[in-house]
Amino acid sequence: MSQEQFWVLFSKKLTGEASAEELALLETLIQAHPEWQYAIQNLEDLWKTKAATDPITGEDAYMLHLHRMTEMQISFDDITGRSGNSVGKEKRSRRWYWVAASAVLLAGLLAFSSFYLFNRKTEEVAQHVNEISTRPGSKSKVQLPDGSVVWLNAGSKLTYTKDFGKETRDVTLIGEGFFDVTKNPGKPFIISAANIKIKVLGTAFNVKAYPEDKQTETSLIRGSIEVTIRNRPNDKIILSPSEKLVVENSEAKVEQVDKSADKTTGNIKRTELPVISTLVAINKLKYNPADSTVAEVQWVNNKLVFRDESFSEVAVRMERWYDVQIAIEDPGISDVRLTGVFESETIIQALEALKESIAFQYEKAGNRIIIHR
Amino acid sequence: MPENESIKRLLAAIAFANDQSAYKELFILLHGRLKQFAYSILKSHEESEELVSDLFIKVWQKKDQLTTIESPLLYFYTSAKNMAYNRLSKQKRQVNSSPEEWLVQLNSVYFDPEQLMMTEEMMRQIRQAINTLPPRCRIIFKLVKEDGLKYKEVAELLQLSIKTVEAQMAIALRRLGKCMELEINQLNINTQATKKS
Repeated sequence: MSQEQFWVLFSKKLTGEASAEELALLETLIQAHPEWQYAIQNLEDLWKTKAATDPITGEDAYMLHLHRMTEMQISFDDITGRSGNSVGKEKRSRRWYWVAASAVLLAGLLAFSSFYLFNRKTEEVAQHVNEISTRPGSKSKVQLPDGSVVWLNAGSKLTYTKDFGKETRDVTLIGEGFFDVTKNPGKPFIISAANIKIKVLGTAFNVKAYPEDKQTETSLIRGSIEVTIRNRPNDKIILSPSEKLVVENSEAKVEQVDKSADKTTGNIKRTELPVISTLVAINKLKYNPADSTVAEVQWVNNKLVFRDESFSEVAVRMERWYDVQIAIEDPGISDVRLTGVFESETIIQALEALKESIAFQYEKAGNRIIIHR
Repeated sequence: MPENESIKRLLAAIAFANDQSAYKELFILLHGRLKQFAYSILKSHEESEELVSDLFIKVWQKKDQLTTIESPLLYFYTSAKNMAYNRLSKQKRQVNSSPEEWLVQLNSVYFDPEQLMMTEEMMRQIRQAINTLPPRCRIIFKLVKEDGLKYKEVAELLQLSIKTVEAQMAIALRRLGKCMELEINQLNINTQATKKS
């Protein structure tokens, strides 16, 4: 597909001109490029924004119009009279209202019965908890009953109960998931993960909440989400696109907040965070200038991306990615910072590539890998 | 509800029930847009105001005939265009038969930054991008985005092919996308070379 065709399709989507096939084609393309999400969401928002109209101008113009009609001696009644049989007109109008009234009644009945049937159906069928899980080394894409899509990264679990979609859309996440949530302001989408709760207002974002990790990370690509932290249910943090919220899992551990990141974001809206500010940081997502991708969501594209992460952190991610266990026996090399991408490499190829940056030897026995100098 | 459907309802209420409040609603719904549209051809506020008033007098007088129109929105714009051309030729003023010579005002540049989550710099770039759209692109963008016409209706009103409307809209959106650093260069998903550390 050419660039031109993409823009033709995308503008057709915005304007409601696209066919079902065109929408599906575009959706596939967009889902394959999470890094476009921010710009696409902005364009969609921009498209929906209407310039403020002044109702007074319309009212005034209408007064002028009526005045003009009077001056030209055109009256509403005259014209009705001129067009003849006013009795016949009256009958016709009544019939019109009658048809309209029955149509409304019918629509109401349909709405009521479908609501009733729908509720019965969900009660009968869904008596259990739905659970979707991925083993280490594998990933999965799930569509939820409301149309929302979740990509589950390796070694993760998503659960939801029979009540999903009834009043709220509640799910629980262990591990990492990329969420593309369909908009439904009446039924908030709520994710419970590790030490946070995320309330979603129709959006795309990544949650990383592995129990063994030191931090829980929430990266927002587009839309807006509201995060509350366990033990502090009254503090609500609203994330804006391209922001990442990092929450320490171990509350005893105190980490300095990266204040420099806040300066670049003029539009963070959130309540005061007096006590927890030592445990929480909001950072700006870094787009790779070369291809404007965001490292946090590249796993959806089958890429293991790390940017300026320590060898020990990379090793933990490789363990999940390749379903292996890695032990770094030399503390001297575990803090070396690494940047890179693995896509189709095997674990051996990946280790060989890492050896070009760090001098180490390794032994592999089954799923266990031991790294030393 | 699509706007044409709301307009059809109002027209039906006007025709079958002599509903004056529906008439007023329709006037207020369309007045601003039609006046701006007429202004782009007439280049006079006073005359455009008059034109819209004339058009709505016609609506009342011909109300019985207006209930069967497939696309009322297109009807209003085509009428406004024809009435504007008639005015120009009566005054022996030059008729700008080409929409490229119309004076098109865009309201899209006056948006509320509070509603959108973008940087000030991005807003500035978007305003500039909208303001510098080429003439034909500009009128098409306005008719679709601000006036709510379908591609087919725009094509008919301006006597263009639907393909042209599609292409011009794509140009407008690509320019806006550029302001958000969205450049679609790489569309083949799997061809990106793997980088190694």
